[in-house]
Amino acid sequence: MITLNIKYALLFLGLLAVSGGYLMYSNYQETWQIKKHPVSIAISKTPLSTPFFVAESINAFQDTCVNVKYVDVIGGKNAFNKVMLGETDFGTSSDSVLAFQSLTKNTFVTHAMFVESDNDMKLLTHKKDNIVSVSQLVGKNIGVIKGTSSEYFLSTLLAIEGLTTKDVNLSYFNPTQLTEYFIRNELDAVVHWEPFAFNIVQLLEDQVNIIETKNFHTLSFNLVSKIPDKLLLEKATCILQGLNTAIEYIASFPEKSKIIVMNKLNLDLSFINWVWDDYIFKLSLNQSLRLNIKSQVVWVIETQMSEYNDMPNIDAFLDRRAIMQVDPGAVNIPL
Amino acid sequence: MKVSLSERIYFFNICCCLLFVVLAISILWSSQKVELALSREAYTQKVSNLTNRLKQLIVSDDIYHSDYNASGWLDSQSKLIQLLKSAPILTSKQLTIQNSINSQSQSVKRLFTRINENKLKKANESIKKLLRTRLMTQLEIISADSMQLSVVVQKDIYKVIKRQALFILLILSIGLFTLLYGSFRLAKVFSMSLKEIKNAFEKNHSGNFQKIELTHHSVEFDSIVKAFNGMNQKLGETTVSLEVMKNIVEERTRNLKQLSNTDPLTKVANRRALFERGNIELLREHRSQNKLSLMLLDCDYFKNVNDEYGHQVGDKLLKHICYICNQEIRKIDFLGRYGGEEFIIILPDCDIKGGVELAKRIQNSLLKNCLVVEDKKIKVTLSIGISMLGDKHKNFEQLIYDADQAMYAAKENGRNRIEVSK
Repeated sequence: MITLNIKYALLFLGLLAVSGGYLMYSNYQETWQIKKHPVSIAISKTPLSTPFFVAESINAFQDTCVNVKYVDVIGGKNAFNKVMLGETDFGTSSDSVLAFQSLTKNTFVTHAMFVESDNDMKLLTHKKDNIVSVSQLVGKNIGVIKGTSSEYFLSTLLAIEGLTTKDVNLSYFNPTQLTEYFIRNELDAVVHWEPFAFNIVQLLEDQVNIIETKNFHTLSFNLVSKIPDKLLLEKATCILQGLNTAIEYIASFPEKSKIIVMNKLNLDLSFINWVWDDYIFKLSLNQSLRLNIKSQVVWVIETQMSEYNDMPNIDAFLDRRAIMQVDPGAVNIPL
Repeated sequence: MKVSLSERIYFFNICCCLLFVVLAISILWSSQKVELALSREAYTQKVSNLTNRLKQLIVSDDIYHSDYNASGWLDSQSKLIQLLKSAPILTSKQLTIQNSINSQSQSVKRLFTRINENKLKKANESIKKLLRTRLMTQLEIISADSMQLSVVVQKDIYKVIKRQALFILLILSIGLFTLLYGSFRLAKVFSMSLKEIKNAFEKNHSGNFQKIELTHHSVEFDSIVKAFNGMNQKLGETTVSLEVMKNIVEERTRNLKQLSNTDPLTKVANRRALFERGNIELLREHRSQNKLSLMLLDCDYFKNVNDEYGHQVGDKLLKHICYICNQEIRKIDFLGRYGGEEFIIILPDCDIKGGVELAKRIQNSLLKNCLVVEDKKIKVTLSIGISMLGDKHKNFEQLIYDADQAMYAAKENGRNRIEVSK
């Protein structure tokens, strides 16, 4: 009888403790939880934004100080513009966008590079023309997108062979037109980025030739914002923490990550597989980014594409404070 | 389900063995984890060394010069790629850095091979410088990544050692706690059961044949208890306890004593009991210096009653006289049959005057309440002699003697009288 009473007493005490715990939890829940800042990020709808898509899917920002609102945009330039217009706190933009914007009066910083690819830009020719090297492009009709990394990439490839854009017949198109003109055989070669290059290969199948140009140009995607105050810097730190979690997930579960991107962007798995091996997902702020931006800025000035001709201080656009708090080992730029 | 003690001991031993095995496995597993962490560090060192070698080969020579020997660089590069392929198992964070190193090293090789195909003879100096810088930058990144990997790995070693040590401690603690609990539990079952059986034996010793109710049940102790309880049941049925026997003897003794001290006819004390009580009172009065009186009563003409009405009426008369006396005397007074129709009343704490008053009350009571037999009133009187304990009395018989003398004087002086010893 006494044992039974003790059991009931223990059960009662247990229930009391659980109820007390629940009451305390509901009363002080807000105190215990990290204070969350609302933050909006303009995300370019491309597989290069994979870390953000994965972060959203696995709730990587849950344990950080930010409540993220995702604003989907087409292209890194639109994402950049949203940041500059104050419509979003952050954006994801390529280093090419940053290079061009560094010449304007815009005041912005990049907090970290989260992906890079050295094969995003492709030089495509028709197989029937038997053009297999850059030196064979002399006098040919080549289509590019004016004032973008497409044109910069072509000029780099030509320079390696001692040529300039004057040695070829250069035509300018928008991305969709560029694809259409090439398919209609009105262009001998095009320099196009993904996913347009993939679409051309899908449409022309074995009639198209991709000239090996890997690692002559690196495309990276970066987290950008206006020059941060203390709060914005804190938010940037929390976003990078979440991105780090997502990037580690991508490294551990690449196939699951591919499915996440595929579903998010409504893409074919074949396209994801096409570009995936070229991507390096890693948080960093290093010399590679600095060099890419700098070389593109030099090219813009030399070709007199911009109204600004003064070489900007590239380091002023690289803000290392947030990433130093998240992963100091990933920073490799001078102070 | 009832478990035997031997099974419990076997189970306990198996648990000890299991703990040892689990502990040994944990230590082996932990050592493998630490070994893996250390192998990661060695790996990052090798990657870093090879990357530095590749950087050195580019910095020290002009890669665009026709005499530049690319085979040394390519050889080191192949070693780097082979090394990257043989990377140990890495954590997700380490894998992120490893993927970057892997991809960058492939890119570096591709760029270097391209440059060396024709030494970029047609290219101008600015593009040559750009590509050389790009090559160096990528090597710098590999170097930085390998350093980052090294830092991460070193931090990981500390974490792994700490985690594994805690894991082993946890396993050890859980195991020890379980074994201690098991051993205490076994010891408790043994000690409690033995104590309960010992207590039962002790109770048996005092004639209390109770059943054993074990707190902790086990096959072995239950079988002992079953046999013991069976034995106790039989003993309980066939054995009279010492206590019961003692009570019976005491009751019988009391009855016998009463019988030996009581006059069978009148149910008052007989002569033997009278003398016994008289001697006790005598001793007490000597000690306390209190007064002690003695009254001797004799029924007048008792023989005539016997002759006229028969012995049975005579016996009734004697009982009646006793009844009258018992009604009048105090609680401390003692009535006894001295012999025939003679009775003695011992009067403690009573002088001659008190004795005379009592004698008068008895005579009056007998006068008022005479015996009635078959509607016939049988009137009798009493001749009473009273004596009081004095210095001359050395024993109880002398006190009776004086009372007897006084009673004879009462007889001689006309009966139905009270005489006091001089």
